[in-house]
Amino acid sequence: MPQPLSYTLVITGAPWATQAPQTALSFAQALLKAGHRIDRVFLYGDGVHLASALSAPPSDEQHWPRLWSEFLSGNNITAVACIASALRRGIVDETEQARYELTASNLRAPFEIAGLGEWVEGNLKSDRVLYFHGAH
Amino acid sequence: MTTLIVIDQPPYGSWAGREALDMTFSLAAFDQPAAMLFLGAGVNWLCKGQAADAVGQKSVEKNLSAATLFGVEQILVDARACTQYGLEIDDLLSGTTPSESISETLSQFSRVVFAG
Repeated sequence: MPQPLSYTLVITGAPWATQAPQTALSFAQALLKAGHRIDRVFLYGDGVHLASALSAPPSDEQHWPRLWSEFLSGNNITAVACIASALRRGIVDETEQARYELTASNLRAPFEIAGLGEWVEGNLKSDRVLYFHGAH
Repeated sequence: MTTLIVIDQPPYGSWAGREALDMTFSLAAFDQPAAMLFLGAGVNWLCKGQAADAVGQKSVEKNLSAATLFGVEQILVDARACTQYGLEIDDLLSGTTPSESISETLSQFSRVVFAG
């Protein structure tokens, strides 16, 4: 068996607009199956929509935010939505709701909101950093 | 290990390039070496004299001219795309280095990030 590697996965494509969250999930499942480790999942740009607790797709469609949060919780993987991307797009936790005096919060557990420093740390610590974009 | 951030989309019409620029600045803020490459329509980021207020946006030129001040090592530009867009080196922000071979440029970096 090859040497296990650690990964940071960056998702920039939104669910239902792009296939990025789906492709990334399949890749993540395959990584763990092959004995690799996922240090962190980082949502950036439109990818932050994956962390919405308010997505309600028709019941016969895949629910990407729910599938991702089950995968993350089940495997104890840290997942972070970039704060600047998230605030622009209306993804907020209770702290940001209070700070900006917004009417609601909608961050789905176990996602957290944090800065790009988390991504920089992924660059430093993980053996590989992979990007899942919508357009490329 | 220098990270190369690649922007291949025009400065207005998509937010992806701006978010890629934020990534570059955050690397620099954490003292991590970063460089940028502007490809294809992305070369328009480097035009001098952008009048972004005409479309109700902030000019990316200001952010970009601060890049080297923030410690971004190199700003590379796709020479062939410049020709396609009718841009001479004098039309571009100072401190820009033309790249004649993109594949050669990309192969010099082990970490490459394309704008989403």
